[in-house]
Amino acid sequence: MNGFMRKEICEGVVFNSIVDHRFRIGRLSVTLLLPLSRETAAANALLSCVLTRSCQKYPDFTSLNRKLNELYGAALYPMVRRIGDFQAITISASGLDDRYTLDNESVSSELAELLCAILCEPKLINGHFDEEDVEQERRQLLEDIDAEYNEKRVYAVNRCIEKMCRDELFAIGRYGTREDVVKLTQEQLVSAWKNLLECAKIEITMLGSADPEKAYQRFAEIFGNKPRKIGGSTKIITEVPEVKHIVETDEITQSKLVLGYRCAYPKDQRQIVAASLMSAILGGTPTSKLFSNVREKQSLCYYCASRVDTEKAILLIDSGVETENIGKAQEAIIEQVELLKNGRITDDEMLSAKLAVKNAYISALDSLMSVQAFYIQSILRTEHLSPEEAADIVESITRDEIIDLAASMQLDTVFSLVGNE
Amino acid sequence: MSFKEIKEERFGITYYELHHSSGLTIYVCPQEGFRSAYAVIGTNFGSMNAEFIHNGNKITVPDGTAHYLEHKLFESEEGDAFSQYAKTGASANAYTSFDHTCYLFSCTERFGESLEILFDLIQSPYFTPETVAKEQGIIGQEIKMYDDSPDWRVTMNLLQSMYQKHPINKDIAGTVETIAEITPEILYECYHSYYNLNNMVLCIAGNADLGLIEEIADKKLKINEAVQTESIFPDEPYEVGKSYVEQSLPVAMPMMALGFKEEAGKGFASTKELLCSSILLEAFAGEGSALYRKLLDKKLINSTFGTEYMEGKGYRTVIFEGETADPAALSRILKEEITLLHQQGISQQDFESAKRCTYGRLARGLDAPSSVASSMIGAAFAGRKLFESIELIADITLEDVNERLKEQLDVQNCCLSVIKGIEGISQT
Repeated sequence: MNGFMRKEICEGVVFNSIVDHRFRIGRLSVTLLLPLSRETAAANALLSCVLTRSCQKYPDFTSLNRKLNELYGAALYPMVRRIGDFQAITISASGLDDRYTLDNESVSSELAELLCAILCEPKLINGHFDEEDVEQERRQLLEDIDAEYNEKRVYAVNRCIEKMCRDELFAIGRYGTREDVVKLTQEQLVSAWKNLLECAKIEITMLGSADPEKAYQRFAEIFGNKPRKIGGSTKIITEVPEVKHIVETDEITQSKLVLGYRCAYPKDQRQIVAASLMSAILGGTPTSKLFSNVREKQSLCYYCASRVDTEKAILLIDSGVETENIGKAQEAIIEQVELLKNGRITDDEMLSAKLAVKNAYISALDSLMSVQAFYIQSILRTEHLSPEEAADIVESITRDEIIDLAASMQLDTVFSLVGNE
Repeated sequence: MSFKEIKEERFGITYYELHHSSGLTIYVCPQEGFRSAYAVIGTNFGSMNAEFIHNGNKITVPDGTAHYLEHKLFESEEGDAFSQYAKTGASANAYTSFDHTCYLFSCTERFGESLEILFDLIQSPYFTPETVAKEQGIIGQEIKMYDDSPDWRVTMNLLQSMYQKHPINKDIAGTVETIAEITPEILYECYHSYYNLNNMVLCIAGNADLGLIEEIADKKLKINEAVQTESIFPDEPYEVGKSYVEQSLPVAMPMMALGFKEEAGKGFASTKELLCSSILLEAFAGEGSALYRKLLDKKLINSTFGTEYMEGKGYRTVIFEGETADPAALSRILKEEITLLHQQGISQQDFESAKRCTYGRLARGLDAPSSVASSMIGAAFAGRKLFESIELIADITLEDVNERLKEQLDVQNCCLSVIKGIEGISQT
C-alpha cells in the first residue's frame, strides 16, 4: 500500500495514516482500548455516545449536526466493540474529500479539529456532563441494548457467547449490562472520560488524500506527554470439561441453532491467516463444508455459517433451522467439524478457501472503512501487516497448519432458540 | 462496435456505454487504482412483474416466481454457479427486488473467467421437475426467516395496506402456497420473456478492462432476437387501502413505518424529483432539523429513525420509520409537523444545509466499486441518465424543493404500520 505511515506519538499512542487519492471521502478515527471490566464497560459505552452528541463549541445535538451538514453531511459517530477481553471505543469522522468541496473549504482539517474537541473539550457544567445529554443518550443506549433481541440471528449468537463465556470478562458485552447503564452516575461518567484519555491505549487512523502531518501534530499536542501502558490480558480456555446445552423458546417461525467452539489462540499473524482459512473451509463460503453439505445436500437449514474470533480464540457456527430438524442439523454440523479435525480437506476446498480469503483481504483495500477495521483488529498485536501482506501469507499456508488448528477445536456450548410450531 | 465514452465533470467520472450485437447493454466505469472489480447483470423482472404480455400472449405467474427463478438460474446441468466461482475466487451473489433481479460478482483476480461464468449462468436455464421441487424447502425456510424479521414485516405490512391493487403489495418471495405452484414451464416462460439480452443490462465498476469485457461478450453472448415483453399493472387508486395495520412479534420495543402514498403515474421518478425529495426529507427530518430534535426531546425516536423514498412503476411513497416506545404519538406529531410544513415550506437556511449534506452523500455513495455499479444499474433500469444527480444538484433551488413538496406528504393519504411486542413475553 502506498503512503502508509505508522508513527508512535508516545508509548501506547500510535498515529497511522494512509495517503490515498482514489476516494472522494476521507476518514479519521480514534480508537481507545481498555481491559473489559464490569465496573467501567457501561460507563465507557455511554460516554462514547455522550461525547459525540455535543462539545463546548457546538453545545447541543442540533448545533453539532448543523455543523456536520455544513461540512457536506459529514458523519461523526461512536462504535463500541470487544477485541478479546478488551473494550475498544472508536470515534470516527468521515466527510467529503477536500478536492470536491464547492467553496474550497478543508473538510479534513475541520473534522480533525472537531474530533479533538469532541474528545478533549466536552460540554461540562460544574464538572458534570449536561444532564439532558446524558439522559437522552442513556435512553437510546438502553433501547439499543434491548433491540439486540429483535433480530433473532444476531440475538442467538449473542446469547450463545454470553452462556459460553459466562465466567469470563468477555461475557460482559460491549455495552456492559443493562442494569449498569441504568445505574450510571455523573461521577462514573466523568471518571470514565478522564480514564479513557489518560490511560487507554490509543490508535489513530487517518485515511484519504489529505496531508496527515497537521492532524498528527494536533494529536501529538494532546497526547504527546501522556505515555500509557494498559494491563489486562484475554483469558483463553483450551479445555472444556463438559459441553453446555442451553435451550430457550420464543415466538418465532424459524428456530436458531448456535454451536460455540474453543480453539487454540493464534499466536502470530500467520496463524491468524490460517484460522481465517480454517473457518472459510468449514463455513465461510458458499462452497464450504457446512453450506454445501448441511444446507445444499441435506436441506437442513436456510443458513449455516462459521466465523472465527482470533482474539478470543472461539469459533461460532450459526444456523436457521426448522424446529423439527434441530437435532439432525446439530449432528450434521458436528459431523462436518469432525471431518475437518480429522484432516478431511479436499484440494478443491483448500483452493477455493485460499482464493476467497485472498479476495477478501485485497478487496478490503478498496474501502476506507474496511482498511480501518483491518488495522483496528490487530490493535492488541505487536505485528502489523497490511491487507496485501496478509494476502501473501495465504498462499503459503499448508494443510497441516490448518489441521493443527482444527484439531484444537472443542465444542463448548450448544445454544438453541426454539420456535413454537 | 465499440464503447462510447461519457464524461461527468464535477466528480471526474468517466464511463462507457456499449450496445452489444447480442442485444445486451453494457456500462463500464473504470476506477483507477482500485484492486477489485464488481459486475452486476440484471433484468427488469421482480416480484411485481407477475402479469405480462409476451409476444402478444398474456401470462400470469404465481407470486414469488421471479425470486424462485433467481435461485434456479444459479444452477445449471454442470452444478451450481457458486462452485464455479469458487475456482476463480470471486465472491458471488444474486438478489430479487420488487422490480428487478440481479446476478453479481466481485473479484480481485481472474475477472475474465468470472465474467464468463456470469454470462453462462444467465444464458443456460436448466429446470426439471426434480430440480424445481428441490428448491421449495430452502425457499420455504427463507420465507420463514423473513416472517420473523420485524424490519421486513413492518415495511411489507405497510405496502400491503397502502396499495390496494398494485403488486408491490406482494411479498418478494411469495408464500409457501404460491411457490408450490411453480413448474419448469412457468420458469422457462419467464426466462424467455425477461432474460432476453435485449431486456438486460450489465454494469461493471472498479478494476475493469474495456477490451477484455468486449472480447468476452463477443465470445460468450449469443445474439438474441428482440422480444416484446410488457408488464401489466392494474390501475391503483390514489387512496391508501387502510390507514393502520399492526402485527405482534417478539420485539423489545415497538417499530413503526408511516407511509405517505402519492400519485405515481406509469413511470419512474426523474432524477430531479429524486434529488428534490432527498433535500426535502433531509431538511425536514434529518439529524440537523428542528423536528428531529423535538422528537428526541419527547423520547419518541432513537438512532434507528430515518426516512426513505420508495418509487417505481406505479408506486411512490415516502416512509418514516424506526423503533419507538409510542408509535401513535410519533405518527401524530409527524402528521402535525407535515401539515405545518405544507403551510410554511422549507426555509432558505434549512434548504442550503440539506443541499450540502445531500451533495456530500452523493460523493460518499460513489467510492466502492460495488456502490458505483449498483448506482449505475439502478439508473439504467429506471431509464435515468447515469450519474445525473451530480450534474443536477448544483442547480436545484429552494423553489424546486417547495414545488416538489406539493406533490408529496399528503397527510390525508397515509398509513401507519406498527410491530408491537407479544404480551406476556419479556426478554431477559
